[in-house]
Amino acid sequence: MGSGYALLAIGFTLIFGVLRRLNLSYGPSIMVGVFFGTFLFIQFQAGWYAVLVGTVLGAALAGAYVERLCFWAIKKGAAVASMVSSFAVWMQLEEGVTIAFPDRTYEFPALGDFELLELAGLSVRLEHVIMLGIAALLVFALHLLLFRTRFGLAVRAVSEDPNAALFMGVNTGRVIFLAFILASAIGGIAGYFIMATEEVITPKFGLQATFKGLIAMMLGGMGSVPGAIAGGLLLGVVEKQAEWYAGAVWRDIAAFLLLFLFLIVRPGGLLAQHTAASELAALRRV
Amino acid sequence: MLEVARLSKHFGGVRAVDELDFRVEAGEIFGLIGPNGSGKSTTVNMIAGIFAPTAGEIIFDGVDITEAPPHITLHAGIARTFQNIRLFNNMTVWENLWVAQNSAKQKRTGNPMARWMGGSRRAAAAVEEFLEFSNLAHKRDELAGNLAFGEQRRLEVARSLAAEPKFLLLDEPAAGMNLEEVKELDERLRVLRDRGVTILLVEHVMELVMEVTDRIAVLNFGRKIAEGTPSEVQQNQAVMDAYLGAGEGGSDA
Repeated sequence: MGSGYALLAIGFTLIFGVLRRLNLSYGPSIMVGVFFGTFLFIQFQAGWYAVLVGTVLGAALAGAYVERLCFWAIKKGAAVASMVSSFAVWMQLEEGVTIAFPDRTYEFPALGDFELLELAGLSVRLEHVIMLGIAALLVFALHLLLFRTRFGLAVRAVSEDPNAALFMGVNTGRVIFLAFILASAIGGIAGYFIMATEEVITPKFGLQATFKGLIAMMLGGMGSVPGAIAGGLLLGVVEKQAEWYAGAVWRDIAAFLLLFLFLIVRPGGLLAQHTAASELAALRRV
Repeated sequence: MLEVARLSKHFGGVRAVDELDFRVEAGEIFGLIGPNGSGKSTTVNMIAGIFAPTAGEIIFDGVDITEAPPHITLHAGIARTFQNIRLFNNMTVWENLWVAQNSAKQKRTGNPMARWMGGSRRAAAAVEEFLEFSNLAHKRDELAGNLAFGEQRRLEVARSLAAEPKFLLLDEPAAGMNLEEVKELDERLRVLRDRGVTILLVEHVMELVMEVTDRIAVLNFGRKIAEGTPSEVQQNQAVMDAYLGAGEGGSDA
């Protein structure tokens, strides 16, 4: 669960970091992917890997659609317009899925039936260990991509100064588009993890995914990938604890209380020092 | 090499650049000077592709680049620096050069796999050479944001060089430099010219402009009021009037 949230927040962070804009349709894009996965499962009894691939593909496609409509078409410094139109596309995606899947509530296949493991006195479910492992691998791969490849370099350059990047010959439009698809695909994996745990899916999942990703990102510190991981894991743990001790109703309440607490005590998020320090350095130079 | 013909840019009723003509020959250092607000930066921005001219055309190497966006002008062989330094502050010095080197070469590198994984050894060697040339090799792994001001100015120029341009647009590269640094820059520009890079230099620091350029065009209120060698321009009455009339000397930034 926590690893799912962490991946959600990473996808969010990638978009926010590269574009400096909020994509509210992030969750709904993932929801579209998840429904596509469910569709494969219901129609063709697809195995877990096919469902996962379908979910990721669906989310990536929906993400590409959102980017073209809300961010590529509205380019010139209109951050608010992009955010508002991403909200509009959210409605569109949600209604579209509701029409295509009129029963609203569907079953989503679990990763599998696994044993309970005993690990150092704690009982853990094997599928959670697998998810955590996959999430860790993904984070590692993402790190390699961002810091070891030409594409990653371009993404980082665009996120720092899109105009300067443009003048260094970076095709910023394409880099943003690809980063957006990448973020949505990561979100698709996150969505799969969360759904495979919950096993029930409704079109409202878009709302949930946007909120949880946003909260995890803010807990960790906006725009920081390690922060997104920490925030996601923290959110997952706190939600599970609240559910366990106080009942399912308290799960979402706990998430919002946690955010509330953080905004008061540590508004920059868990790992915000670095950003604050670099901003200070920038100020000193002026 | 670069030909600007009847170039105009109007912002509302303001004629920032008005029917400007000039020609930069291959292998020369061409200066563009003028009082503040005379249209120098607007001209640079039009050549680099930030905004489209209201009228006129820009021909580079026989190709019309009047409407070309920035990454296309770069691929055509024009690189630029920014008046206010705009480095990638959270990336290392080496990575700053690497971005430019890779993006500019994108079209030309053959092996897609080598491209994806970070480019060829030749590209790395080129970056090394530009670091060496700009006296930044010892700062290779430093974050650009942590460099001293003079080093950042050098990196700004080095980064545009890493794109391996035929034509370099320098927008006030000496602003804020001390005399010693200006002298170093002067020498570096001469070396570049001798290597075959054509340079368009927009500058307020007259010690640099009058020393290093082959020819100069002087702008005032968006129009060219003089053109010639540094000594010709210095004796031009219209130029003296423009600078004295502007109320300030040439050395303000």
